[in-house]
Amino acid sequence: MTAVVSDDGLLLPAGSRPLLVEIDGHYVWSLTPVRDGRPQSGGVLVPWPGVLRPYLAGRGRVRITDTTGAEVLYDDEVGLGDGEGRLAVVDKAGNRLSVDKVGHLARSFADTGEAIQEEIMAGTRRAIDDLRDHGGVDAYLNYGALLGAIREGGMLKHDSDTDLCYLSPHTSPADIITESYRISRAMRDRGWRLLRMSGGDIKLLLPLSDGRVCHIDVFVAFHIGDTFFQLGNRSGTLPREAIVPFSTIELHGHEFPAPRDPDAMLSFLYGPEWRTPDPSFRYADPPAGVRRLDGWLRGFRAEMGSWTEFFNGARVSAVPRKVSSFGRWAESQFGDLPVVDVGAGTGRDALWFSRRGHAVQALDFSRGGLNLIRRRNRRSSLSVSVDQIILGELRSTLMHGTRLARDPHHLYARHLVGCLDEPALDQFWLLARMALRPGGGRLFLEFSAVADGVTAGSGAPVEPYGLVRRVDPATIREAITRSGGVVEHLTVGPGEDMFDLPDPAVCRIRAHWPHPKEKR
Amino acid sequence: MSTHDVKHRLRQLRGLPERVRALEAEVQENRQLNRRIAELTDIVTELLIPLEARDRDKVAEILERYKQGL
Repeated sequence: MTAVVSDDGLLLPAGSRPLLVEIDGHYVWSLTPVRDGRPQSGGVLVPWPGVLRPYLAGRGRVRITDTTGAEVLYDDEVGLGDGEGRLAVVDKAGNRLSVDKVGHLARSFADTGEAIQEEIMAGTRRAIDDLRDHGGVDAYLNYGALLGAIREGGMLKHDSDTDLCYLSPHTSPADIITESYRISRAMRDRGWRLLRMSGGDIKLLLPLSDGRVCHIDVFVAFHIGDTFFQLGNRSGTLPREAIVPFSTIELHGHEFPAPRDPDAMLSFLYGPEWRTPDPSFRYADPPAGVRRLDGWLRGFRAEMGSWTEFFNGARVSAVPRKVSSFGRWAESQFGDLPVVDVGAGTGRDALWFSRRGHAVQALDFSRGGLNLIRRRNRRSSLSVSVDQIILGELRSTLMHGTRLARDPHHLYARHLVGCLDEPALDQFWLLARMALRPGGGRLFLEFSAVADGVTAGSGAPVEPYGLVRRVDPATIREAITRSGGVVEHLTVGPGEDMFDLPDPAVCRIRAHWPHPKEKR
Repeated sequence: MSTHDVKHRLRQLRGLPERVRALEAEVQENRQLNRRIAELTDIVTELLIPLEARDRDKVAEILERYKQGL
């Protein structure tokens, strides 16, 4: 055997061939040693991917092979972590999971029964029909599903979903995004649940009869000048004529539209060697293209994935369930007005406000957090209304602002401003102005502050590491004033972070936004 | 070219990487306007025009429908 398996990862001979990793006969991960690892005495150490680590406590038979399975580098029983049971990378329903090509845990096609495979194919076909008949765009099968259909006559063993693309006629990013909004609205009207991943791609959530949800990505493709762009992050040269008019391919007994020249598309995606299987393939996208796509289409959901991981992981249990001291302080000033907790997190304060008899809305951008509040809400028979707000998205901010402007209430936000980037923070002031100006409610803010000689500077991370940053109270005061608000109360002193651990400098602010007719 | 001119050109050249970085940042800011334009277009076409109805129940219904469609 030429490999060592430990809690740190896999120590492998330096090589550029892709390798497959199985645990107890189930595929979990593919890697390329020199690309994914770091040199160490004895070879290259490839650390276990972060998404696998929570599952690596117990005993199991680990097998590392080349992509054909003919050459075995390791095949032995190992004990990892401090667990006693068998290693199993499975979801809550017991379905086997593996690391997909973008580093997420997903259920691979190889571990999917025939009946479920049929549901995925039929669902993909229905998505294409709905996109055409109701979304007004012609979608084609692409990425892994196209590669599998052309190269192997079926879905790739280690693929986990299907990807669709449509070629937009637009050449301005603003028009491309507007078109994508229209498509998502049409698909929702058709009953699809979906997630918006950027201004140019959505994920359709296809529920399967085994309890799993299959993701069907719908990516825009477009030309600007001579450059062809296709989401995820692809950019380069591919003429329109290589895509339309479509050809047809068969996949598991279903006919799908495909690019007119599949060879040209697959070479564009995977390079000229696309006919040679490489399950550990990673894209090498031109940085200039990624920069342009980031600028045009992205920015409103940065860190959403990290917050979802936080809310679904073990660390969230360290957030106390009892009300925060700031929650008590603010609640004593609420009077009879309803309260909107923006960035409600685990809902610890929102639920307590509800228990105290206030009408409460909890808003957050993380679906992980919102689901947690819904569960706690149900268990405690409380009536906190729960909704998503994405402060990085102007539409979401304006929609909530318009809704909240209709009735008086308070806004409450604890440890929110330190989580927001500059554009989202600007839109938070817009929300406060819209929501509070007509009704006379107050904004109650608490955040980890910058204090000279006491804390690190503005932007310094506080717990959970990297997701919350220290903020200078002076910049917040200035921003409130600039947006038409009046700071009534501002203190900086020792307090608590999100976990109720001591924080040497916490800022509390109470502010209001006078009605335009009020004298300030 | 005089020594003074050469020194001036060298100073300019040394400053180029910083100017390129600043320009790249400014270009990226401009790119981000695309999403803002699209969002405003969406708001105007899907929300503001129907809201002209100014009927309270109708407004609630339109807001709810817009929220569901985001």
